[in-house]
Amino acid sequence: MPDFSLITQYGDRFWDGTLITLKLVFLSSIIGLMIALPLALARSSKKRRYWIPAYSYIYFFRGTPLLIQLFILYYGLGQFPMITESFLWPVLGDAEWCGLIGLTLNTAAYTAEILRGGIRAIPRGEIEAAKAFGMSWGLMQRRIVLPRALRIAWPAYGNEVILLLKGSALVSTITVWDLMGETRSVFSRTYALEIFLYAAIIYFLLTFVLTRVFNLIEKRINRYLVCY
Amino acid sequence: MTPSAAISINNLHKTFADNEVLKGVSLSANQGDVVSILGSSGSGKSTLLRCINLLEVPTSGQISVNGEELNLKKDRHGDLEPVDPKQISRIRSRLSMVFQSFNLWSHMTILENIIEAPVHVLKKPKAQAIEDAMELLNKVGIAEKADAYPGELSGGQQQRVAIARALAMEPDAMLFDEPTSALDPELVNEVLQVMRQLAEEGRTMIVVTHEMGFAREVSDYVIFLHEGRIEEQGPPDQVFERPESERFKQFLSSGL
Repeated sequence: MPDFSLITQYGDRFWDGTLITLKLVFLSSIIGLMIALPLALARSSKKRRYWIPAYSYIYFFRGTPLLIQLFILYYGLGQFPMITESFLWPVLGDAEWCGLIGLTLNTAAYTAEILRGGIRAIPRGEIEAAKAFGMSWGLMQRRIVLPRALRIAWPAYGNEVILLLKGSALVSTITVWDLMGETRSVFSRTYALEIFLYAAIIYFLLTFVLTRVFNLIEKRINRYLVCY
Repeated sequence: MTPSAAISINNLHKTFADNEVLKGVSLSANQGDVVSILGSSGSGKSTLLRCINLLEVPTSGQISVNGEELNLKKDRHGDLEPVDPKQISRIRSRLSMVFQSFNLWSHMTILENIIEAPVHVLKKPKAQAIEDAMELLNKVGIAEKADAYPGELSGGQQQRVAIARALAMEPDAMLFDEPTSALDPELVNEVLQVMRQLAEEGRTMIVVTHEMGFAREVSDYVIFLHEGRIEEQGPPDQVFERPESERFKQFLSSGL
């Protein structure tokens, strides 16, 4: 019989951890998307000076484990006096900041690839129409390409944010007190295995809510698909 | 080739890979002219039209719009490329295009489609743009669909919206790229009717089409392209009544 007194005893720690997890996922998904938009455009460019740097970035962050990226950020950078003595240290020396930066850079790479797929799926004729009506390159990206790509990519992007939510558990390994961090700490005090079950349920509920939110937004922005 | 020509094209060549699609085509359209470009598929007629607003960049030749020559220079492969993107954008905003497959922006409502370029390219105040758009939608007969999305409309309705979108730019000339070819036969007329009306208003129109009746009755000048060259040209009475080119005679008798 699981010991429910654990919940009353450690409930506030789960709550605090959940808030940190939510904060990290919320901020990193939004900032990641902001980075991914120009990154996807650069990646889709025909000019080498744009797509090569963008592709290298994406390759690096998709090709290496998030865990290693977090370790490099948090433990690795601290090895260099150049960094520990610089103005960046208050940020890079802080576990939560490193967690946020790591998650953001990682999700930006995946999101850029998702958006690239969206950009490629835009019917050519709609791009031609934008050109034929005298839109400059920038205006066309802002008004036609990105809004259209984001709508096409939205379901896949929702999936990426769910993966990000669960991937965020890794920040506990660099001493961030997110939901996973609190869970591990409570477990090491109590050795009660059901602690992990409670954490899983919370992650599940967060995912459930997130899915609903994404579906609602999808319904709204993809109204134009009614007849296809 | 007078400098007052709305559109003039001189000795245009266009090669895709090693396929020469246009082999030296010249044409000019004065203010208020309706020029129809005829030809079987692969004759280069769409390419010719798309060169006018540089959706295709010609391999060589000159294009002028309202007496202003498009600034093209040779790139390192010897092909032409636009010198000044701003000039291209400006000229494109003076020529609006109606496409075979409508190409409405599908994530925007009908009204949003029509005000998009006037507001963001021409910087027209939004309230004014909406007022003008509603007037145009009335003119093409689909004002009640202003808040619908393109996907909810029939092909004929979409093409009429596309024409309204083109008119909203208050263009100097309009380019039509086979505007009825993607439509079901019973929807062709509603689009042709709108186009006839535009011709009567004295708009400058370059129309690539398979609609012989339209070309014959509405245009001031007809051009027949074959394998990248002009085979026959002249006023419709002349080319339809007394065609000189054998190929054009064949084309006419081929059941159109």
